[in-house]
Amino acid sequence: MNVIEIDHLSKYYGKARGIIDVSFTVKEGEIYGFIGPNGAGKSTTIRTLLALIYPSSGNARIFGKDCIKEGPNIRSDIGYLPSEVFYYDNMKVIDLLKYSASFYKNIDQNRIYELADIMDLDLKRKIEDLSYGNKKKVGIVQGLLHRPRLIILDEPTSGLDPLMQQKFFDLITAENEHGATILFSSHILSEVQKLCSRVAIIKEGRIMSIEDIKTLRSNNYKKFKIDMDETVSDDYFNIDGVANLYADQNSFSFLFKGDINKMIDIIHSKKINNLIVEEPALEEIFMHYYEKEA
Amino acid sequence: MNILSQELKMSVASMLYWTGALVFFVFIFMFMYPPISRDAAIIENVLSNFPLELRRALGITTLNLSQLLGFYGFIFVYVLLIGSVYAMKSGISVLSEEVRSKTVDFLLAKPVSRKTVVSAKILSVLSNLIVQNILFIVISYLIISAYKQDYFDMAVFTLLDLSLIQVQLFFAALGFFLSVIIKKIKSVLPISLAMVFVFFILQMLGESLNDPKLVYITPFSYFNAADIINNGSYQLSFLLINLTIILILTGSTYLIYLRKDLPSI
Repeated sequence: MNVIEIDHLSKYYGKARGIIDVSFTVKEGEIYGFIGPNGAGKSTTIRTLLALIYPSSGNARIFGKDCIKEGPNIRSDIGYLPSEVFYYDNMKVIDLLKYSASFYKNIDQNRIYELADIMDLDLKRKIEDLSYGNKKKVGIVQGLLHRPRLIILDEPTSGLDPLMQQKFFDLITAENEHGATILFSSHILSEVQKLCSRVAIIKEGRIMSIEDIKTLRSNNYKKFKIDMDETVSDDYFNIDGVANLYADQNSFSFLFKGDINKMIDIIHSKKINNLIVEEPALEEIFMHYYEKEA
Repeated sequence: MNILSQELKMSVASMLYWTGALVFFVFIFMFMYPPISRDAAIIENVLSNFPLELRRALGITTLNLSQLLGFYGFIFVYVLLIGSVYAMKSGISVLSEEVRSKTVDFLLAKPVSRKTVVSAKILSVLSNLIVQNILFIVISYLIISAYKQDYFDMAVFTLLDLSLIQVQLFFAALGFFLSVIIKKIKSVLPISLAMVFVFFILQMLGESLNDPKLVYITPFSYFNAADIINNGSYQLSFLLINLTIILILTGSTYLIYLRKDLPSI
């Protein structure tokens, strides 16, 4: 069964582009990644699913029901964590969470304390005194306390320290094992890779591709930056699997996909000053989607 | 119900402060009544030297300041003014506050319809106004009682006091409507003050110029204290106009809010 079905959804703000012809489906029990750079249309898509904004054309269904027409009904089974978390400043955390709980039927109040305990959240503090990361925790608890069947997370990890991120991922995984479907939006490829089974990649309002995470992993590019101590030809690093090669005197930068040992051998046979290996930015990976299409 | 009680919790303190301001204003200005009524002849003499237009604008051509109700009517204009600013402020902020404090993604992602949200919020403003008016009527009566001598028309006094909520409802409805059509409202009070004063000045102009048309566009004229005191009643046509405007503005608020995109952060 499909939990989310998005069908040729477009949204324009006046003439400005929001999203164009977005279609994808999320199956029940899936953790579905939704990645793209900032401003690509992730939040626009999600806010349409929640009927916070109305589509210009196309439609979206959740649990088989129209998002706009049956919004209130559908939303009783959705937990949503917005990308930017803001709550009523004058309230205490516990009062906000109880207010949030008051919108749902059959709430187990203990769940609030349980989640707050896991996320290490102080319930007695005022919202306005919380750091950004702590507000994010409030967002997580209010999104999960009613045990929703669908959890929509928009950039959930920003502001959380690595330890909290891990706890959060464990929490999400546990919810997923209990049967919740998860739509996980992010611009960080690595965290999507860790959790999700499939991803939709969006750029400039359009879905670029929908991939199995295994495929993406086999496309696992590393970004190399090397300062050489001796002069080599500009083509020295141009072996199979290298892309976007830039050479500037003795400095090189490129993306590499393939057996990392081969590259290490090539580097090892020369003297180098400096070496940086890192995950490429999402934009750099997108370049390949463009190239593939061209 | 949960939205309503949340709204009330967040707004009750402000309502009480403003009620306090209204009551305090009446309390302070009523101190001026005994000396003014004592020396009524002298004061009327001084005032009669003012240009006629100014006297009309201040409402002192038609009000007898030496009588308790006349004097109360004179200061009640300013009670209307203060009360209207409060009503307008509440009306503008109740829906736009969620956008300004960026909590719209919290509230509207809950399993509630927008209609429920608008109703709860309008109801919260209405409740505050009702409580404020009950408090005001009781306390203003107590203050007036201290100055009451022989004859005092309780019915007209009540009519005067009851005009407060009707003018307030006009401005609250105008506030709802403005808050859904203006894209970004950065601060509420300046807009509220400006709007209320525009309508107030229109009323003064209408009185001063004796213009029968201006009377129809400002609620301050619908519930003119001098007319209420002199006629002992409201004017039915104004009552209906006021009610119609309130209903149209509130209805439009629903229609627009139900259809609009809620701005993201």
